[in-house]
Amino acid sequence: MARTEDIPEPTRSAVLALEVAAAATRPFVPPRPLSSHRVAMITSAALIRRGDAPFPTGSAAFRVLPTGLPASEMLMSHVSINFDRIGWQHDINTIYPIDRLRELAAEGVIASVADAHYSVMGATDPRAMAETAAAMAQAMHAEGVTAVLLSPV
Amino acid sequence: MLEGQGLATTVIGLVRLHMEKAANPRGLFVPFPLGRPLGEPGDLGFQRRVLLAALELLDRADGPVILADFPDDAPTQAGASGWRPACPLPPPVSPASPDGWEAALAAEIALVRPAWHQAQARFGRTTVGVTGLPPEAWPGFASAFFGPEHPAVPAGFVSAALALRFMADDLKAFYTEAAQATGPAPAPDQASAWLYRDTLAGRLLVALRAAALAGEDGAFKTAAGRFLVPVPFLPP
Repeated sequence: MARTEDIPEPTRSAVLALEVAAAATRPFVPPRPLSSHRVAMITSAALIRRGDAPFPTGSAAFRVLPTGLPASEMLMSHVSINFDRIGWQHDINTIYPIDRLRELAAEGVIASVADAHYSVMGATDPRAMAETAAAMAQAMHAEGVTAVLLSPV
Repeated sequence: MLEGQGLATTVIGLVRLHMEKAANPRGLFVPFPLGRPLGEPGDLGFQRRVLLAALELLDRADGPVILADFPDDAPTQAGASGWRPACPLPPPVSPASPDGWEAALAAEIALVRPAWHQAQARFGRTTVGVTGLPPEAWPGFASAFFGPEHPAVPAGFVSAALALRFMADDLKAFYTEAAQATGPAPAPDQASAWLYRDTLAGRLLVALRAAALAGEDGAFKTAAGRFLVPVPFLPP
């Protein structure tokens, strides 16, 4: 349905008009076996811990989601009302595949799952998030993460 | 940004045009509804296929820009034929006064609540709770926006209007979770159509939007004008 022609108006026009800047450089980490990677996730669904304040509109901050945080302790605070939340209500893995990632680690498909994952507000201009990305990268390096799965909503 | 700091990245993306423009090191385009990057709620095998397709890009050497296409639609993204909510409601009748809205919404919430509890038992959680206001507080809080003075600002919010915006998310989640207490997951448009066309809660959100746009309160106008009702469900 997220084929362009399937997105209802006026969301389609807004999506198509969104300015998306390519990175100025093209870094590319050399490949290594998937089974050697420690994997962290970044979701742009503005997930928060139950009881925490929602992401403010335009926030460039990030929140940490400990890998053992129960699904019942996560809420969504994304500003947009133009994407599906039914799948999220039904199954957290529809947007944040923590259980699937754990299964891959248990089977040895990946080496391990990071202790911490990260949530950002997807409506924020990525160009305002350089410091946020640097801070997340520093935290990931500190716990030995080698690969990051990003799952925009 | 992360790749430049030595972290191999792979993206699951829902808008191919954006992925083409962003030219990420590794991207997997998936043709699923916005809001469902893994595609299919409750389908472990399908989610695993999507996740593996994204992670296996980490093994490829043909960068610096790899854009792959996931070959399949999610099994039920078009929705279950004849889907019906688990908590059918009597046809809504819009009240004529703020007090009427409060009483009518409270009565409808009482009808929905058993299915909401059933859904929590089914899924082991609820996504209701962003505002911290319990369901019994919603009718009075929301209907107060029809009057001359807005309600008190709940703890943790900078304005009552912003709290209303997130209360609407809680209200919608309460209803759509209840609708899923039994049966398959509905398609996004099936659940939203039920909420906005067949429930008093949906009519309330539409009425609040109209009141905001007719008034002079900028915060209310922004919050309720833009974030309560998706465009496909606006009145003609």
